[in-house]
Amino acid sequence: MSNSYIPVPMKVKRIVIEDPEKALRTYDLIFQNEEDRKNFKYMPGQFCEWSLLGLGESPFGIASSPTEKDFLRFTVNRTGSVTNEIHYLREGDMVGLRGPLGNWYPVEKFKGGNVVIIGGGFAFTTLRSLIVYLLEHREDYKDITVIYGARNPDLFIYRDEISEWEKRDDIDVQLTIDNPVEGWTGRTGFVPTVTKEIGPDPDNTWVVVCGPPIMIKFTLPVLVDLKFPDERVYTSLERRMKCGIGKCGRCNIGSKYICVDGPVFSLAELKEIPESV
Amino acid sequence: MIRIKKENISGFIEGLMSDYVLFAPVKDGETVSFRKIESADSIAEDYMNTDKSPKDIFFPPAEVLFSFDSGEITKNECSEKPFAVWGLRGCDVKSLTLLNMVFGTARQNPEDEMFQDPYWKEKYDNALIIQTACNDPRSTCFCNWFGGSPHDGEKADILVIYIGDAYLLDPKSDKGRKYLETVKNTEPAAKKDIKEAERLRAEADSSLSAVFELDGIVGRMSGLFNSGVWEEIGAKCVNCGACAFICPTCHCFDVQDEGKGKKGKRIRIWDTCMFPVFTAEASGHNPRELSKDRLRQRFMHKYSYFMENYGEHLCTGCGRCVVVCPVNLDIREVAKKVMSYQS
Ligand SMILES: Cc1cc2nc3c(=O)[nH]c(=O)nc-3n(C[C@H](O)[C@H](O)[C@H](O)COP(=O)(O)OP(=O)(O)OC[C@H]3O[C@@H](n4cnc5c(N)ncnc54)[C@H](O)[C@@H]3O)c2cc1C
Ligand code: SF4
Ligand code: FES
Repeated sequence: MSNSYIPVPMKVKRIVIEDPEKALRTYDLIFQNEEDRKNFKYMPGQFCEWSLLGLGESPFGIASSPTEKDFLRFTVNRTGSVTNEIHYLREGDMVGLRGPLGNWYPVEKFKGGNVVIIGGGFAFTTLRSLIVYLLEHREDYKDITVIYGARNPDLFIYRDEISEWEKRDDIDVQLTIDNPVEGWTGRTGFVPTVTKEIGPDPDNTWVVVCGPPIMIKFTLPVLVDLKFPDERVYTSLERRMKCGIGKCGRCNIGSKYICVDGPVFSLAELKEIPESV
Repeated sequence: MIRIKKENISGFIEGLMSDYVLFAPVKDGETVSFRKIESADSIAEDYMNTDKSPKDIFFPPAEVLFSFDSGEITKNECSEKPFAVWGLRGCDVKSLTLLNMVFGTARQNPEDEMFQDPYWKEKYDNALIIQTACNDPRSTCFCNWFGGSPHDGEKADILVIYIGDAYLLDPKSDKGRKYLETVKNTEPAAKKDIKEAERLRAEADSSLSAVFELDGIVGRMSGLFNSGVWEEIGAKCVNCGACAFICPTCHCFDVQDEGKGKKGKRIRIWDTCMFPVFTAEASGHNPRELSKDRLRQRFMHKYSYFMENYGEHLCTGCGRCVVVCPVNLDIREVAKKVMSYQS
């Protein structure tokens, strides 16, 4: 029978350093077995467990979109033992991967509506997946607005790609940094404040918010003030995980398992889950 | 129902041993626990609940998921013979069915093999579960809170009732029936045997304390989530985790790699939500920082969350945690306190 604990081998094809401190690196992985590639069907918002044999595993959101066929993309922030080791990897090295795991942003429901995507810091990974997916199916959606905040201009990830999006007229990209710096032409201010300033129209609009807990905590009330119904606001939760398949109990909050029932939840669902925000 | 004379039961056990990898309660100094057995006379006779629960037969405290050598991954193969367990109590049989709800499949996606735990299934799915009826329940037994009773064997393959000079074997599933058909040296149970079994059953039933009604506990617990009840209950808990490790239904685990260089093993190891590191994150943030947060998680998982997901409580009334807790935190008192708490 199939065994979800066993990782499949992947090769690191490309590494991009995202920030001056070199704490954020983006990895493109390619499958080594055609069979594994075929079996791997995913949607924006899902995640994988990276497996470093001898060291352990860590979950990361998938930053590539299923419309990008040749690779899987991840951006890894260096914080502890596994992520440290990942940062030592070079192009051509091998890693193990388990997934895709978890649920996804309900892009089917979004069809025919406007989509507002609000992100902060390096938690922009699965939002990139979502944006690329939406742009690839552009005719299915109305207005697409992206509000993305970072502490300073160096800390936006995927900068080249964002510049490309800024040139397009079918997506509105609003970047903001915490404090003004010389030469910055975008907005300044925290994401919740900027969201309020922009004041997206809740009519027929879906929102996806993803970022540090503190940003989510202050952005959700802004959306409520703007009269977005709880059913149309989505976010992605992060908790420690091990198995990723609802067995080990690590990610359990309330009657939900973030690894299987989530990580994507609507605000309406979150209100039913104790400990969630 | 068939009858095997007391002196012939070792023949039955030996038969089991040739067809199965057999586990049974074994005495080890003062304690009794389930072990793989090689001879019929090593089985403990006078015991009620084993000190350790039988979950480790199917879900070992440390289990190798696979070994690796220079990137090559090999899964350990399971024994070819199926497992049989002799001497399980009803509460423990039920606990295995509860664990099977988690490991056997996923409620979110019952058909998807991805969510079936192969390590559990290869041991549990073909196992022959033989239950011993309890003639003399302990004072800490409360299976009746959860619809159980000392002689209820409905979840087992075979129910064994010891009536003094003989064992009565009552098949409870097709698997059990088929196995008993192959057993020699048996005779049909006589009317007086059945009468005696009924007497023992009634006696055991009446020795249990009264049922405490848990109806509505899910709503009560959610309502009390942020109340002071957890602090009151948990004030004396030392977060040792003994209750969770001894529990036949607690099933949280950690995954760790062992080995040096390119060669080693990935192992899953019992873990518990009672430990602070269980939820501590790389950033230093811990969503369940306080002892009362962790205690609430454990009791709510048992009496609220599992019920919401599966329609059963994740507790079978075996009473082991009541016996083992170093500070006498009694789970029955927790339930009673939650049901009567005025915030
Ligand atoms: C669904 C999900 C998606 C994520 N996506 C990303 C991403 O795209 N990019 C990124 O950089 N990080 C992401 N994270 C966080 C990332 O998994 C942790 O930072 C990472 O596991 C830390 O591992 P470590 O071994 O370096 O740290 P250590 O502190 O050494 O951690 C040891 C172990 O603790 C666990 N752990 C510790 N902190 C966390 C945490 N915050 N979340 C989950 N497990 C943790 C892991 O199992 C890890 O192996 C995500 C987490 C989740 C749950
Ligand atoms: S055995 Fe008692 S003291 Fe130890 S964690 Fe359980 S309830 Fe707390
Ligand atoms: S990570 Fe194991 S249950 Fe979710």
